[in-house]
Amino acid sequence: MSELAAASSGEASPSSVVRLRTTRRLFSSLDGVFNEEVFFLILCVFIGIFSGLAVVCFRLAIDWTHLALLGPLPQTHSWRLFAVPSLVGLVVAVLVLHVFPGIRGSGVNQTKAALYIFNGYIPFRTAIGKFICAALAIGSGQSLGPEDPSLQIGASIASALGRQLEISREKLRLMAPVGAAAGLAAAFNAPISAVLFVIEEVIGRWSAGILGSVVLSAVSSVVIVRWFLGSEPLFRIPVTTFKRPTELIAYAVLGIAGGLASVAFAKSIGYLRPRLKQLPRWTQYLQPAFAGLLIGLIAFLGAPQIMGAGYDSMDQAMHGQYAWKMLAILAVLKILATTVSFVSGTPGGMFAPTLFVGAMLGGAVGDVERMFFPHLTGSTGTYVLVGMGVLFAGFLRAPMTSVFMVLEVSGNYEIILPVIVANTFSYLVSRGLQSIPIFDLLTRQDGLILPSLEEDREEAILRVEDAMLPVPKTILNATDYVDANARRIQDSTDSAFLVRMHPSGWSAITRDQLQRLFQEGKGELTLASVLPAPSVPSLYPDLPLDAALRYVNTYALVPVVNRANSLQLEGVISRESVFQKYGAPSTHQ
Amino acid sequence: MSWTLPKLIPRSAPIILIVLTLAAATGFAAVGHLVARYNANQQSRGRRLYAQGLAAANAGRYDEAIAAFRAALTCDPANSQYQLSLARALRDSNDPRRLEEAESYLLALWQRAPQDAAVNLALARVAAHRGAIEDAIRYYHNAMYGVWNSDPDANRTKARIELIQFLLKKAALANAESELMALITALPPDPVAHLQAAQLFVQAQDYTGALKQYREVLHYDPSNAEALAGAGEAAYLAGDYATAQRYLQAALNQNPQDANAHQLLATADLIARNNPFRSHISDVERNRRITAAFAQAGKRLTECAQQTGIDLNAASTPTATNSVSPLAALQARWTATKPDLDRLRSPAETDLPDTIMDVVFQIEQQTAFACGRPQGLDLAFLLISQKREAAIQ
Repeated sequence: MSELAAASSGEASPSSVVRLRTTRRLFSSLDGVFNEEVFFLILCVFIGIFSGLAVVCFRLAIDWTHLALLGPLPQTHSWRLFAVPSLVGLVVAVLVLHVFPGIRGSGVNQTKAALYIFNGYIPFRTAIGKFICAALAIGSGQSLGPEDPSLQIGASIASALGRQLEISREKLRLMAPVGAAAGLAAAFNAPISAVLFVIEEVIGRWSAGILGSVVLSAVSSVVIVRWFLGSEPLFRIPVTTFKRPTELIAYAVLGIAGGLASVAFAKSIGYLRPRLKQLPRWTQYLQPAFAGLLIGLIAFLGAPQIMGAGYDSMDQAMHGQYAWKMLAILAVLKILATTVSFVSGTPGGMFAPTLFVGAMLGGAVGDVERMFFPHLTGSTGTYVLVGMGVLFAGFLRAPMTSVFMVLEVSGNYEIILPVIVANTFSYLVSRGLQSIPIFDLLTRQDGLILPSLEEDREEAILRVEDAMLPVPKTILNATDYVDANARRIQDSTDSAFLVRMHPSGWSAITRDQLQRLFQEGKGELTLASVLPAPSVPSLYPDLPLDAALRYVNTYALVPVVNRANSLQLEGVISRESVFQKYGAPSTHQ
Repeated sequence: MSWTLPKLIPRSAPIILIVLTLAAATGFAAVGHLVARYNANQQSRGRRLYAQGLAAANAGRYDEAIAAFRAALTCDPANSQYQLSLARALRDSNDPRRLEEAESYLLALWQRAPQDAAVNLALARVAAHRGAIEDAIRYYHNAMYGVWNSDPDANRTKARIELIQFLLKKAALANAESELMALITALPPDPVAHLQAAQLFVQAQDYTGALKQYREVLHYDPSNAEALAGAGEAAYLAGDYATAQRYLQAALNQNPQDANAHQLLATADLIARNNPFRSHISDVERNRRITAAFAQAGKRLTECAQQTGIDLNAASTPTATNSVSPLAALQARWTATKPDLDRLRSPAETDLPDTIMDVVFQIEQQTAFACGRPQGLDLAFLLISQKREAAIQ
């Protein structure tokens, strides 16, 4: 660096100038090595590292706040339990309303909006605000989790880095989900679940293009977190067993109960949130404090487990520390506490509370089932684990993530069947009773409409085969003379014809074009010699109909061929048939 | 208010990567420093909470101890000592719901250090609480052959004794006896250890083994009253009444207040004086003893019948269901055998003593079944009968 300074001031020695030139040449030659794709992938690793470091600090901040404000030992009937969350709620409200606007809620929707609306732009202030306010809120006992804020912090860091490096708009858009995956993976110490969640909830569609970068960032952030905080899992997983297939009925019942609880949870948030936002602005200073007071009172009266993320209580539930009545009470109280915390606009996530409610509900349902059917072999821990996935599938409506999350957390493949069965029931019940998933509901309440995987699943895709016309009776040969082909079309009423090229390929010609060639005296020439050089591209029946739109304006007819044999014609596509299909209601199932 | 970061990074890819690497390294160092300080604080807090937990556990306040250990673990989640203590507190709190959690902590520790004897012992105790004999045996054995931080020999012996006590409690006598065999090979030359082993042998109903251990104790401490009484009782239970007399007498010399020894000695004396099968007695004395035993058996039968309200003449008048009381049947047999007493003196009747005593033994056994364990002479004959049966088998 000193040599650079000396060189710029004109005081460098001849040898140092030579070295500087060599370095510059090296850098400019290396520039060519890093094309945009390679550079972006390397950048994803750095995003993972920075997000991991930020999440480590975030977790320390939450722990430190908790210890400083509430003390290391949980004490029921202490005035701190309701005083701390109330007072901190006031501070958080002031910060959210005056210093860090836009950090309300979980952050998942904001990240998704950044991807689809704001070209990947998330202000760096969001990361700072989310860090401070979420740490204060969760550390003081608000019933929220650190995962969704971590997701937004990661996305915000990635977005800031992308803007700093002035990468292309297309890549900048992808920065948000890449950072989101890194943040979430670091917070939950589960890279697979984080990647799947980001695909299901943030990106909202399966895209092979981004998968590599998301995985890279998620893995590198998890490495960082494990480096600093150790690789201890979130829970000590008890022995989980699944012996008899008939027990799947018991897990299906848990799935139904979880689906109903998910709907109650989602509906209460969906009902209260817009109403609280409509209240006069001055009440927004008090809403987080009121939420804190309510949660504190619940804790003061004997249920301190509902404060904060609640991982310790989940761990204890997993090891049969609570009777079924207590588990059921905790599930209900957590729904209440999380609802008031969340709708009050306090920054914090729903990931951990969802797992908490699921864990308690799973334990309660499992214990009750075993009371009536003592032969059931699943332990309380098994039901608690399955319950976590059930709420995840029903409330967050991320069915893939819910399955992998339980597997990743438990490290036990044996419970995959109960998890899949219970999650499927929960998902179906929830979808049946609440058509809009919670994150979509929240974005719609904020006036945004963003794509979602569930929307994709609902929507039937039009394919080429839906607009395909039958194989035409008259197909011309490129090796035949123009006059011979002109005679062949005299009996036909079609206005355009496919031409079979030699040795393979297709072209198209209209009746008018062919007759003009004949009138111009080119009847003695072969059709191949007078047709324009590029052949008509072929389509396949299973392609989306959108693919045909690129060709139907250029070519009168587009051949649809078999994927196994490109010479075998399955049908044709014309401009009219495509537009007719888009105009008419789809019959494709 | 709008916050934007100033543009700091030049656009050349290698320079960008160098800058990012430097930034990551700086962040790494800064976070590392922060984490180290945080961990140091947490560990210090954890130690305080752990001390609180230990004090509470020692005072038997397990709920308080569990809360303190849990809090200590939140400060230092990977600390094996805290986990072990929490697991022990959970186990000792006598709440069945907490056993599962205790086991989970211990299994996690076990996976990290399967050779750790303390962890294996704690797991064995959890298994013992659950009544899982096989698991308990496995973990106790792991503890015995595992690594102890201090005094391994004594700890191994203690672990084996604990296992034996558990097996005896679960009535797994065969397992207990094999553990006892292993135990005595490793016992130190210490009368206390042998005394404990002898008592375990008694509980395992291996009276010969017990007598051997009591003799070991007496080898080191010949006037040990407890060992003398124990040896006497073991010999008595093993059917070696002569040896029992000798030890019990010596025990009473040391401790004349020992009521149990008194009682056992009285019975052993009765057996010695009335056993017709005792060697080195004359034919006349044998016949006298048989006659006396026969009379005693008849008396016992009558008393027992009266006690239970059974009509001893029912053998000659069967009921409508044609069933005869066993006592009535024995009375009939006794009556039928009585004339044989006169033929005892005949040298040709070599089987007659056995035949007569067989009636006596059957009466004693049947009346013990119907009217409860006898006392005095009847008890003596009952014990003689049991010893003879054991000898025949």
